[in-house]
Parts: sequence; structure tokens; C-alpha cells
Amino acid sequence: MNEKNVFIELKNIRKIFPGVVALENVDFDVRYGEVHALVGENGAGKSTLIKILGGAYQPDGGEIFIEGEKISISSTSMAQHLKMAVIYQEFNLIPDLSVAENIFIGREPKIGKSFINWNKLNNDAAEILKKLDIDINPRKFISDLSVAEKQMVEIAKSLSMDARLIIMDEPTATLTEKEVVKLFSIIEELRKKGVSIVYISHRLDEAFRLSDRITVLRDGKRIETKKTSETNQDEIISLMVGKIVNDYFAGKKEKTTDRDIVIEVKNYNIADYIHNVNFKLYKGEILGFAGVLGSGIHHLLRSLYGAAQKTEGEVFFEGKPVDIKNASEAIKLGIGYVTEDRKGEGLLNDMSVLQNISIIIIKFLTFFKGIFIRQKKELDVFNKIAKELDIKYANINQRIIYLSGGNQQKVVMGRTLVSNCKVLILLEPTRGIDVGAKAEIHKIMVELANRGISIIMTSSELLELVNLTDRCLVLYKGKLVAEFNRENMNEEKLVAAEIGKLSYANN
Amino acid sequence: MVKFLKLYEKIGIFILIVAASIFLTIVSPNFRNMDTILGIIMQGSYGAIIAVGMTLALTSGGFDLSVEAVMGLTSVILAMLIPQMGFTLSIIIAILASCFVGMINGVLITKVGISPLIMTLAMQVILRGTSLLITGGRQVVIAQKSFMTIGASKVFNIIPTPIIYMVVIFIVFYLLLNQTTFGRHIAAVGSNEQAARMSGLNVTIIKTLVYVLVAFTASIVGVIRTSQTLIGIPTMAPGFTLNVLTIAILGGTSLAGGKGNLIGTFFAGIFISMIYYGLNLLNVQIFYQFLSVGLVLLFALFVNGLRIRYLESAKVKGIRI
Repeated sequence: MNEKNVFIELKNIRKIFPGVVALENVDFDVRYGEVHALVGENGAGKSTLIKILGGAYQPDGGEIFIEGEKISISSTSMAQHLKMAVIYQEFNLIPDLSVAENIFIGREPKIGKSFINWNKLNNDAAEILKKLDIDINPRKFISDLSVAEKQMVEIAKSLSMDARLIIMDEPTATLTEKEVVKLFSIIEELRKKGVSIVYISHRLDEAFRLSDRITVLRDGKRIETKKTSETNQDEIISLMVGKIVNDYFAGKKEKTTDRDIVIEVKNYNIADYIHNVNFKLYKGEILGFAGVLGSGIHHLLRSLYGAAQKTEGEVFFEGKPVDIKNASEAIKLGIGYVTEDRKGEGLLNDMSVLQNISIIIIKFLTFFKGIFIRQKKELDVFNKIAKELDIKYANINQRIIYLSGGNQQKVVMGRTLVSNCKVLILLEPTRGIDVGAKAEIHKIMVELANRGISIIMTSSELLELVNLTDRCLVLYKGKLVAEFNRENMNEEKLVAAEIGKLSYANN
Repeated sequence: MVKFLKLYEKIGIFILIVAASIFLTIVSPNFRNMDTILGIIMQGSYGAIIAVGMTLALTSGGFDLSVEAVMGLTSVILAMLIPQMGFTLSIIIAILASCFVGMINGVLITKVGISPLIMTLAMQVILRGTSLLITGGRQVVIAQKSFMTIGASKVFNIIPTPIIYMVVIFIVFYLLLNQTTFGRHIAAVGSNEQAARMSGLNVTIIKTLVYVLVAFTASIVGVIRTSQTLIGIPTMAPGFTLNVLTIAILGGTSLAGGKGNLIGTFFAGIFISMIYYGLNLLNVQIFYQFLSVGLVLLFALFVNGLRIRYLESAKVKGIRI
């Protein structure tokens, strides 16, 4: 690749927010047809940098050149005009419009000057989606799509703009392995066409699989830009965290020998989603669930917490039949649930760290017939769990949203732990959090299991399941198709089973 | 800007009150008089009492436009019942009826999923209509003079009773919101309803109770006002809801829910009253008084908007606040 073929170059970019220097003298460039990975822990300045590229923020210092010409990206529409598209983690899709309308928003094909050409709109959208091998009806509303589908629509939208530079912020965070493979082949295609891509991901293996160069940011500074072929994951991780990390996975948990059944699910059905599923959860076990989009895992796990309703089947909790109709009943039994959608249904955004931890058990930390809160007790509970999980916060009154992703996740986990749960359901426990915090969460999970808490987890990162779980059940289209234990489990087998290539019997 | 807004959130309303006090001291020699000050506070207490309830509603992520009509309903019920059963029982029935109205608001909003805006607006019109029907569109004079002691007397011959009610209600609601599990639950629901539900809270009951409490505060003011005039007025306090909302928002309670500032509400109530007093003093026409309250609401919303905008973007940028 020719060193001179630079599409966009940022020099000495500086961005200051009140009290914080978000970016300091950052140099960054992207060449034609290059995949440039941008990595760094949360708060390293990645988001700020891509927002500057996308025109959402204006830099306080430094220069930007496109094809050698000095420009300023004064707005998001300016960025679009320059054929640069940003796919943010939080999508810019309008829920009440259709897929096709969203893809072509602001650029709808018209009949005459004012009327939208609906046929063309839908056909064009269908064509783009087909090119990406995405099976979504362009007439569907965004609000009816899953998170993964929304992500695919975002990608389709940026492709439809003939973007010359596409910036992808954690594009695979919500995708299944199969969709990731699809995305990667799309990225390859784009690269061949000369489209440049800035790829941001917490998953280093992806960065290594895809990128030509990797830039590491830390504390708002550019630490290094390296050719991918001349570095390795260990080096990048140590550059990111500023210290040497040897042990990515905290070490496997002790093998459970306990055969006490905590939960048993029999002939479980949820209309359209789960068909005749049976499984047992043992005490102190980490039980994994793997499955691609449409496997029904989310519905299954939500229904165990009472947040979705089963249509048929039985659940036994510690041998007794139970019918869990809402979260409060699940909590009473000792079932905790940590959502994959922290922002949407996990965090009490306006409330403090302390209040977020205590919300479930606050009614027990009271005097005068459960009316008044015992502040001292609440604080004790908080301090204990904050220490145990090593939650980092400025003060107990700090609003939860100002914590890093990893600490937010610990708070949401801590919330269920303080209620003394026996079963912990964890959905995507390490989504969107940085490498260091990830290892900590894993360590916490192992410790909890060793202490006798049963954990049910699902993760779209299969390595996580392989490394953490005692057993892993694979669901495919709502049916249980495979079960692996630690001895016979590996990533390849999980992938195969997830997409229905390995039947239960063959195993 | 972020720092300024944080500061404003904490002490903004006090600065406004101090500024207004200085102004009033300059233009009016009477202002230093204790009776005048108590009078201003009393005038402010009506809005403040309901705004305390409104603050809970805002904190839970909803709001209530029916409060002024609840006052009218209370007034009418009192006028109809007092001749038959004396005022103690009448007051109890009027307040219970208002609470029932709040419950209907709450149940329809939570169970049927009607937006609070539309639901309580419809309730306002329904209650106005009902009140007018009950009295045949007339105002009803209450003959029992002793009823006046409720709202038009002074404790120790100094402090007007409405101020006492305001302080008591403020203290009770303050404890409720900040020291009880119920208050915590209200904030949780307003902060993130789905997360609250997933934490095992009964969102339906919590929200419904909040609407009951708003109606309760509105009814209290209805009782006070009726007792002062000794007239049952079905059309009592037209447009007062906006006044109440202005007080709550000016006090620093976010329209977005999750954050209620009752101390701010309390003082904002007094501040609004000071504005009215000042305008009266300067012989400003009543039209301008409406205008000025509108402007104050706009100002409060403006600051609220700035706050959301700046704090949100500060959050996006990862700034610790």
C-alpha cells in the first residue's frame, strides 16, 4: 500500500471539555481502502475522535486534511457531504419509520419534487439489503427490529450513501458470530472497492483479523499506530492499559461436583420462540446458553425472571413448582437478572450509585414498619458490595451514568447480589466494557459460582462461554439442539451448533 | 456552563428570592413589615402546596393538569355538603373524592396507557363539567361562618393557617420523597420505568399513588380557598395549573423525571408570590401579571432545557459531575 495515498489526515487534534482534556495532540490518518482499527479502553478518547470525524464535535485545536486539502467538518451534514459515515453504537434510526425510509432518510427518491416514490424507495432498500445478504423486509418498522437487525440497517444506510470512509463504532458488539462473519465479508468487499474504514472494537481478535493498521489511544493521547502485521494482541493490550496484562481470563472455576438441582425446566414453551425445552441448573454451576438471533434464548431467560410469559411447561425451583409472573416474584425466590440492555432497562439513570445498588432491597433496609429508609444500613450494604466488586466511583451521590461501562455493569450486578440471590441470570455480561473490566467481571462470576451461586449466562462472544461455563446449551430456532460440557466444548463446535449444523444426537 | 448550571440547580432559586427581596425593599417601604412578608408567603402557599404534589408527579415521570379542576370540585362538594353534615365530615369527603379522582387518573394512565398529558387534561374538563353540573353553574354561598377558621384565621394571631398547612405538607412530602422507600421508588420509576420494573417494583401502584397524592394536595388548597371566601366555586382558579407547573419546574424539578427538588419547589412558590406582589405594587395591569408568569415558566423551562442539554453532552463526553 502506498504510504502517500492518504484519504483523511488529522493533525494535532485537541478537544477540551470543561475540566477534561478529551484529546491531546492526536494524529490520525486513514488511507484509501484501508481498515484502520482504533482501540483503547473506555474513556480513552475514541468516541470523541470519531465524533470529530463525523462532524458532531468541533476540535479545539489541530487541522484536518482530506486528500491533502485543509477542511473543517463543521456539521454532521458536512461529514455526509464529504462521504463519511459514522455508525454509532447507539443507532441513529427513527423507530417509527420503516427500514427503507431510514436507509434513505433525507435522500428519498421522489416523483416530481415533493412526492416520495415508495416503490423505488422500497426496491432500492431491498437491493442494498440483499447485497449485504440481510434478510429484513424493508417495509418493516425499525421499532419491530432486534438490536442486531438495527445494526445491519445502520450499515446498509451508510453503504447507501456511497461513503468513502465508514466509521464503525463497536459494530459487532450486538451481532452473532454468523452476522459478524457476514459483516467481515462486507468489510472486505468495501476495502477492495477503495472504501476506507475506521474500525473500533473492544474485541482485539477482530481488529487483528480485519485491520491494516491499529492505533491505540489512552487517556486522550495517541500511544502508537502500528502495522497490524508487525504487532500482536499482547502488545496492543499492554499499550491500551499501560501495563502488562497476562491473564485475560481470570482462570477457570473449580469444577462443580454439586448435584443439587436449583432450577429445573420441563417441556417449556413460549409461543413462536421456545419449543419444548428441558434443562436443569445445578448449584454453583455456570450454565451457558449459546444461539444466534432467533434462537429464543432471550425470551427463555426473560421468562425465567417473569419479564416474559411462558405458554406451556413447568419450572421447579429447588424442587418446588413455581409460576413466576413478574420480576418481584422472581426476586422473592432468589433469582437475579442482569440485562444486556444496561441503558434501557438496567440503570436508574437519574439516580446515584448508592441508590442504584440498593433499589431492590431498599424495602428491607427500613424502620417504622418498612416505611423509612435506614440510611446507615443502606450505606453499609453499599460499601460492602462496592468493595467486594471493586466498583470505582467518585462519591456515593455520583450519578450512575457518569461511571464507566464496566463499573455500571458491576453496579447492576451488585444490585442483584445484595438481594442474596441464589440464581443469577447474566445476559451479555461484558458487552461494551473494556478489557480490564471484562477480566474483573469474569473473576467475579467465577467467585460467585464457587460460593454456590448458580449462574445462567449468554454471550455473543463464544470464547467467553467456552472459558467460563461448566456446561453450555445451544438453542437453534427455539429448540435445544446441543449440550456441551467443559471437556468437549470449543468455539468451533458452538458455532456449528448455533447455526444448526450439529444435531443433538450427533453429540 | 456545566458548573454554572450545577450551581444554579443548588442555589438558583435562593438567588432569585434574594434579588426579588432587594428589589421589593427598594420600591416598597411596606415590604419590611412582617405582615406583608407573611401575606406574600400565604399567597404563595396555595401554589406551593399543589406544586409539592406536582413535584412528586414530575419525579415519577408524569404530570397532572387536572389540579385546578380538583380544587373546583372540592369547593363544590364542600358547598353542597356543609349545610347537611358540618364541615369536618364534608372536608374529609371532599378530600377523599379528590383522591379517588387521582386514582382514576393513575389507573387509566398506568393500566390503559393513556398519556398523562391527555388523561389529566381530559380529567380537568370532566371535573369542571361535573362541578358546574352539581351547582347548576352557579356559585354556592356557604352559610356556616365557623368554616372560615380553616383557611382564614391566624395561629397565635400572627401566622395565617395556609402557611402552617404548607409547612406541614412540605415536611411530610419531603420525608416521603427523600427518606422513605416509596419516595425512592417514585424516583426510580421516573428515572427508568423499565429498570424499575425489572427491579421488582410495582410500577402501576407507585404511579397511581402519586396521582392520588397530587389530587390530595390540590384538594387541600381547594378547602383553604373555599373556606376563605365561604363560596363554593365550580370554576375556581382557572389557569392555576400552569402556575403550579411553573413553581415545580422553576424549583429545579426536571420534566424528564427521576429528579425532584422539593426544597426548590417550596421556595419557588414564595418567589412567584413575590413577583405578583411586586407587580401589584407597581400597579401593573393584570394582563402583564399573566404575561410575567408565562415568562417565568419559559425561563424555568429554558434553564431546564439547558441543563439537560449540557449535562447530557457532558455525560457523552465522559465528564464527571
